[in-house]
Order: sequence, then C-alpha cells, then structure tokens
Amino acid sequence: MNRTFLLQQVLNGLAIGSVYAIFALGYTLIFSVLRIINFTHGAIFTIGAYATYALTGSQFGINGLLAGAALPFRLPFVLALLGGSIVAALAGVIVERLAFRPLRARGADPLLTLVSSLGVAVALVNITQYLFGAEPYSYPDPLQGLPSAVNFGTAAAPVLVRTVQVVIFGVSMVMLVLLTYLMNATRTGKALRAVAEDMTTSSLLGIDTDRLVLLTFVISGFLGGVTGTLIGLSVGVAGPYFGIAFGLKGLAVIVLGGLGDIPGAVVGGLIIGLAEAFVPAQYIAYREAVPFALLFVVLLVRPQGLLGRAQVQKV
Amino acid sequence: MSLRVSVSISTIAIAVLCCAMVGLAADPPIPIGVSVAQTGPVALAGQEQVLGAQIAEEYFNKHGGVNGRPIKLIFQDGGSDEPTAINAFQNLINVAKVVGIMGPSLSQQAFAADPFAVRAKVPVIGPSNTAKGIAQIGEFVSRVSSPVAIVAPNAVKAAMEINKDLKKVAVLYAQNDAFNKSETETFQQAVKDLKLELATVQTFQTTDTDFTAQITNVLNVKPDLVIVSGLQVDGANLVKQLRDLGYKGLIVGGNGVNTAAIFPICKAKCDGILIAQAYSPAYKSKINDEFKSVYKDKQKKDPPQFSAQAFTGIQVFVEALRALDKKSPIAKMELAALRVELNKQLISGTYDTPLGEISFTTGPGMGGEIVQKQAYVAQIKMDPDGTKGTFVFVK
Amino acid sequence: MASFLATYDFLLVAVLALTLYLPLMAGQLSVASPGFYALGGYIAAIMSTKIFPPGPGLYPVSLVLLEMAVAAVVSGVLGLAVGVPALRLRGIFLALATIAFVQILGVVALNLDVTGGAIGIFGIPQPFSSAIQYMWLAVPLLVVSMLFVARLERTRTGRALVALREDELAAAAMGINPTYHKVLAFTTSAMLAGAVGAVSAHFINTWNSRQGTFDTSVNLMAFVLVGGSRTFVGPVVGGLVLTALPEALRGIAGVDVLPAWLAAFLRDGRLIIFGILIAIGTVFFPHGLITPGLLRRLGRRGARPG
Repeated sequence: MNRTFLLQQVLNGLAIGSVYAIFALGYTLIFSVLRIINFTHGAIFTIGAYATYALTGSQFGINGLLAGAALPFRLPFVLALLGGSIVAALAGVIVERLAFRPLRARGADPLLTLVSSLGVAVALVNITQYLFGAEPYSYPDPLQGLPSAVNFGTAAAPVLVRTVQVVIFGVSMVMLVLLTYLMNATRTGKALRAVAEDMTTSSLLGIDTDRLVLLTFVISGFLGGVTGTLIGLSVGVAGPYFGIAFGLKGLAVIVLGGLGDIPGAVVGGLIIGLAEAFVPAQYIAYREAVPFALLFVVLLVRPQGLLGRAQVQKV
Repeated sequence: MSLRVSVSISTIAIAVLCCAMVGLAADPPIPIGVSVAQTGPVALAGQEQVLGAQIAEEYFNKHGGVNGRPIKLIFQDGGSDEPTAINAFQNLINVAKVVGIMGPSLSQQAFAADPFAVRAKVPVIGPSNTAKGIAQIGEFVSRVSSPVAIVAPNAVKAAMEINKDLKKVAVLYAQNDAFNKSETETFQQAVKDLKLELATVQTFQTTDTDFTAQITNVLNVKPDLVIVSGLQVDGANLVKQLRDLGYKGLIVGGNGVNTAAIFPICKAKCDGILIAQAYSPAYKSKINDEFKSVYKDKQKKDPPQFSAQAFTGIQVFVEALRALDKKSPIAKMELAALRVELNKQLISGTYDTPLGEISFTTGPGMGGEIVQKQAYVAQIKMDPDGTKGTFVFVK
Repeated sequence: MASFLATYDFLLVAVLALTLYLPLMAGQLSVASPGFYALGGYIAAIMSTKIFPPGPGLYPVSLVLLEMAVAAVVSGVLGLAVGVPALRLRGIFLALATIAFVQILGVVALNLDVTGGAIGIFGIPQPFSSAIQYMWLAVPLLVVSMLFVARLERTRTGRALVALREDELAAAAMGINPTYHKVLAFTTSAMLAGAVGAVSAHFINTWNSRQGTFDTSVNLMAFVLVGGSRTFVGPVVGGLVLTALPEALRGIAGVDVLPAWLAAFLRDGRLIIFGILIAIGTVFFPHGLITPGLLRRLGRRGARPG
C-alpha cells in the first residue's frame, strides 16, 4: 500500500470519525452525569437539523402535514445553526421534563429509562416525518466561496479531504476542549461530577441537582443540534430516520470509548471511523457491520470501554 | 280480480320497471387502480407518476373514454416499501375491485406485490420497473418501462462519443436495492461489450450518506468514466462528493437519478451527468404533443420521463379496453373474466404513445415485456448558481 | 372483517411478543428476537424455493412444519452460541449486545447470495389458498406457546427465572445458576422467534433484510410494556391489541366516519403512537396493564358464586 493511499485512508477515517465523535459527545455527557443512555439524542440531532433548515428560510417539500411551509424570514447560515441548536436544546429539556424526570423521581432502573428513551426517539422522529415529510433537503451553502476540498498531499499525489469535513473535525476538537475544560476546571463541572458520583448526597450538600441536570440536557441538546446541522451540511438532510441510524451507531462509539468518558467519546468515534475507512475495497459491503461487530466484541471483552473505569458491582 | 291481487301485481310491475330502469341507467365508470409512491423517499418520483396518470384520465375521458364509458382512477398509496405496496394492491384487488393496476413505483416493490396480482389474475402494468425479470414474475405482469438492459448501454455509448479516448471505467452501485443491482449488471456487461476496461466496482447502500471510502478507491484507479447506479438521494450525494474530491471525468447516471429531484442535492455539481432516457419531450407525434401541452399548462415545464410512462400505462389500459369492448361488450362480462381478457388483449396490442411506438413480447409464464422503438440520452445542464437545471438531449 | 384479518398477521406478532417476554422473566432485556425471526424466515424461504422444488398447486403444510422445526433448531443453536458469552452481561450491556447482534445479522443477510441479497427471496410458495387459512398455523402456534410459558411459570425453572429477575445476586447465592437459566430463556425465545419467522415468510410471500429489524424491536417493546411484563398474558394481549387496533381503525377510516386527518394519522402515525405509549408506559404502568394482581382480582370475581 503506497504512502499516499495510506494517508488518504487515515484522513478519511478521521473525517468520518470526527462526525461520530461529535455526535457521541452529547450522548456520553448525559451518561456521565445521569448514568442513563439517552437514545433520544438521535432524535434531538434530527430536530436540530430541521430547525436550522427552517431558520434559513427554506421551504419544506410536498410530503408531510406542513407541506410547502417556510418561515417568513431567512437567517444567514451560522445564525441559523445557532438558532437550530437552541431549538434542539429546548427539545432536549422538554424530553427531560416529560419523560426522564418522572422516572428519576422514583429511582427507576436505567434499563427502563433506556426503553423509554427509545420510545420517545421513535415518536419524535416519526412526528418530524409526519410534519415535514421524508424528502431530502440541503442547506444554502455557506462554504460556497471556499474550494470544495483541502489538499493534504502534493499536487502530484493529491490527498483530498472535503472542506466541510475539515470544518467538522475542527469543530469536534473545539467541542472536546470546551467540554473537558467545563468538566474539569470549572465549579459547575465539579458540581456535575459530584452529581454523577451520587445524586442524593450532592443534593444534601446543597448542590441544586435539578438545575444541573437541566444544564446537562441543554448542553447535550445544543451539541446534538450542532452535529445534526453540520452533518446535514456535509451530506444533506436525508430524512428524519438518519437520526435513528446515528443513534444506533453512536451506541457503539460511546461503549467503545467508555460510557460517560468525554475524551473516550472522541477516541471511540475516531477509532470506529478509522476502522470503517480501512475496510478492504472488496468487503466494503460489510462496512455497516463493523461498528456493531466492534460493539459486540467490546461488550464481551471489556464492557467499560477503552478509557472507562471498570464497573464494580456493589452488594 | 280482488283489490289485493291487483295491488300486488301493480307493485311487482313497478318493482320490475324500476329494476329495468336501473339496469338501463348509465354504466358506472370503469375502475383502474393506481398504486405508486405517494409517500416516503420515492414520493418525488411517485408524484410525477400521479400527475401523468391524472392527465391520462382527463385526456381519455374527454376523448370518449372506453367507447362511451368513462374510466375512473382509484389511487392507493404504495409507499416506498414492500408491505405498503402489498397492502395497496390487495385493497385495489379485493375492495376497490379494479380491472387492472398500474404500479408500483420500485422494481423492489414489484417483486413483492405483483405475485398477489398474479394469483388473483389481475393485470398489472409497471410504469417505472426496469429491473431484470419483472415481466417474468407471472403472466399478468407487464411493463411500459424499457428494461435497463436495453436503455443503459446507450448512455455509455454517448459518453464514448464525447470522450473518444475513454478507456477506464469505475462502477458504483447500491447493493441493497433490486433495481440498482440489476442495472449495474447491465452497465458492467455493456462496459465489457464495448471493450472498455472495468477498473473497479464499488458498492454502497441507498441509506449511506458518506461515500469517501468508495470514492477514494475509485479515484485511485484514475477512471475516465464513472457509472453510478443509486436512488435519488444517495446517487446525488455520491456525485456531489465525487466532484468535491476532484473527479473531473464523465459521469453516467442510472435510472434512479433520472429526475430533477436530484438538483437540490448536488446543485451545480449535477452538471454534465449523462442519463439514458426512455422518453423525450422532443419526440414528434400527435399524442406526445398533446400530452406535452396539457402537462406544460399545469406545470410550466416539459414533462419528465416518469409522468410520460404513467400516462402511457393508463393509455395501454384504455386502448386495450376499447379493443376488447369492440370484440365482446365488457359491460356484460364478469369481473374475473374481464381481468383475464384485458390482460390478453393488452399484451397483444400496439400503441402510439408519448414514449413512441410500443408493443409487447411475451413468453411462457410471463406477461408483456415492452418493445420500444425509440431510445434517448440526455445530459444535465445546470445554471451556474446551481438552482435550476434541465435535461438536454444529446441523442 | 375477513380482509382485515387477512392483511394482518397479528397473531404471529403476538407470539413474537412472547419471545421478548421469555428473557424478561429472568430480568433480561434482549431485543435479539427480530434477528432470529429474520433467520427463521430465510430458512423457510430458502427451503421452499430452492431445496424442495415448488410444484403446481399448494405447498404441503407438512413441509411448512418441517421448515418451522429446522428454523427453531438452527435459531436455537445460534442462540446458544451467542447467548453463552453475551448473557454474562447485565442490564443495559446485554440490551446493547442484542441490538448489535440484530444489526450485524441484517448486514450479513443483505450480502449473502443465498439470501438473495438486496432483492431477498420472493415468490415463496403458499401452503394455503387464502390468507385467512393461515389461522390453522398461527392459532395453534400461539396457543402452544402460551401454554408452554404458562407451564413454565409454575415449574421450578420458571420460579428460578423470577428469582433471578427479582435479585440476581441473592438467587445466585441460593444456588440458582444464573447463566444456565438466562441462556435457557434466551435460547427458547430464539427458537420460538425462528419458528414464527418461518411461518411469516410464507404468509408475506417475500422475505428480505427489511424483515426483522430494529423497528420490530421497538414494536415488541411497546407490546410488552403496555400489555404487561409480569405475566405471559400481558405481551400477548398487548401484541393483539396494538397491532389489530390500528388496522381496525384503518378499516373504519375507510368508512368516512372519522375526519380525514385523524384517519390518515391512525394509518401512518402508528409508530408515533407506539413510541408515546412506550414512554407513558414506563412512567405510569411500568409493569403493563395486565399484571398478576389484575388477573388474580378477575379470577376472584369470576369465582364468586351467584
């Protein structure tokens, strides 16, 4: 395998992986604080993408209840992205209040919360489909002025990566740094980690657990919205169901990296991205099975993931 | 005669008279079923088919229907997946009791739903099923969409005319869709027959959104031509990413991307895609001119292939019904017998349609395979800002 | 009425709901059933189209039963192979492992030639001349599975499973082998799912990788959550009601009784309704509507004299 090809595969893997990583960050954040798997992350991600689309003033197509609807104003892409992500954060908060809080109040098994989140995710995605149809949409391109790919090689042996993927990689690194800073170097972060350790004791110590849980969902939802929009920018919004597909793959990413571990989410994402990129050309049909095969193996061999701590069963 | 007896006789007489009058009342319109993708990802193509069928209904009813009797189209959404298509077919066969069905939209759905029509002995005309083996599903399955085996190689030949030095070809196809799998076999065979080098074959899924891995493999073999067999969303995304990553050669697209619905996805990068066509608005014939003008009145643009094929499907049913009615009045036929006779009649006819002159060939155990005289190739031309585009015919 | 029964395999779906219930008796959430269901369907499809040459006329019912048996055995073996390593996992981890299993099976099914790849296998021979006659297979299958599970609940194994569900550590400390019992429940569930798949392949007439996916798992979870997760009657009733009801409503919708938007919603919005039911179910009735308590009360009322 020559060097150019190898470099190309590595960069492809990092590009795909950073998409998974940025999705997994929000996913794992909730687990890190609340010890639950929030499958609705995929649905929130979808809602963010659709909200941004609406905020760019674009029109919705012929399917769905709101056929042909369009907002009367149009925002430039970056503002629409922020707005859409705020909508996603709000959606996350609503889900938390309605679906998770009652379960938390009665100390329900995390398994029950997982099942509930599955139901909510499916309901949300189908409501989105019902309202907006399953047509593909694209955003008005903010990167139009830039060249469509960045060359990491030479003119003679080009190693190209699409510009939008470079942007996504950049954003995921920035998110990682910000989140790690938040969790480790701020007071809020310390409070969040206290809540993760033991919610009852934290609240006894005067920490407003309720507000912190809310904050967690706001951050996670916002991240989800950003992710959804960026991916929509890269490959178009292919219909609400792409949130579910991502939700499933995201499970593989966060388990591989370690449930609840924030750098772990990024590591897991990049590893799975690289694994997918290095599937030999003749087996490319089986590429979709790779993340799930990895998930299965990790669960059997090292369920706490690469960077997680082993879970000790207390009697 | 006593009063009671005369009253009874009068009542019976009036009743008989009423029944006779009801019998003499105008025959109800002939129901023809249409089951295409009105919802789901394929709905964009399905909507074009609905429009084509509706134009046909109006047109033929205005021109006398079936020897004086109007037709009525019964629409049952076939969705974009097999169970929905199956349910739609069963509803049309058993509940709406149609004389024939036009549909479904996807070859994949046809393999699933058509067998139910075959068992119920109801004629089916596929308006857009182009995979191999559709007419072989059963005696009651016919299609007016030229099989990909006939149509696809034309696009490759057109590419060779544009680039005389064309040697290396890379093929990509969606492996989780019956139609695309069938289409790629034809493309690959055509590449071999035309003595070109098949440098690599890559697969993807219709649900994929990122094609970097496949594109890397393709660019690695430095092809002069890339052939893509996918559905609208994945196909268009693939082309966009292919161009993004620097591919400058020719692209041939299959029937899955043969729709203006791909323009919003690949925008300016859709420019230049060559696609074989089963229909050309420029084809000169009386019926095509009339169809085109009705369509243009409604939509302000030329009719797309899917609408023309849907129109043709209804036309075949109507003209076959007319011919059958002349031989033996269909008003007197039982539904079951009517369906069987209609099937035989439609397969044996020739038709002058917007697609051109068509007829059917058949064989043991199969229905009508279309024989179409005309074939076309178009190339997509996009405006520089990427919002509007047209299919420009090159052959 | 007949057409609604014919277009829907709700009896088979009720049996599938039992396959989710079996591991749940031991406190294990396993959504692997759709994978075995798909496998069973492929076995029946391959056997009836490639191995036994399809002759004229109807396909013999005895061969369908044979296919069901083969499907059950193969699913059982695969269930053992997957279950023994996987069932050492607990709670969420097991659920995730079973999700991964179903996804992997789906990709494999999509790519093998013998399964027909993307096209799948179509034209599966029919053992009956009309759809409603499938009742001859579906009803006995449902009744037998219900009887089996009812018996199981009363035997020692059944009580062991319940003990595991209540407190795995305590049960293990008292000498109940957790892995053995969990694998037993999982494998039995796999065999049942495989048999259902075999019948469904004939019923639906075509089989491809779109049968038996993650969506199916969500449906099954709705049945168990709403119907009841503590007694075998629950998932069955949940399955029957939740699949038959929208179809019945779809039938009513056709009669123009409901306003158009509601009719369309009931037809297309089924997954929305299921999703919301799951969410509500976990909060307000986590053990489902049909609980052992309810059954006891109904039994008492029936036994009152006069």
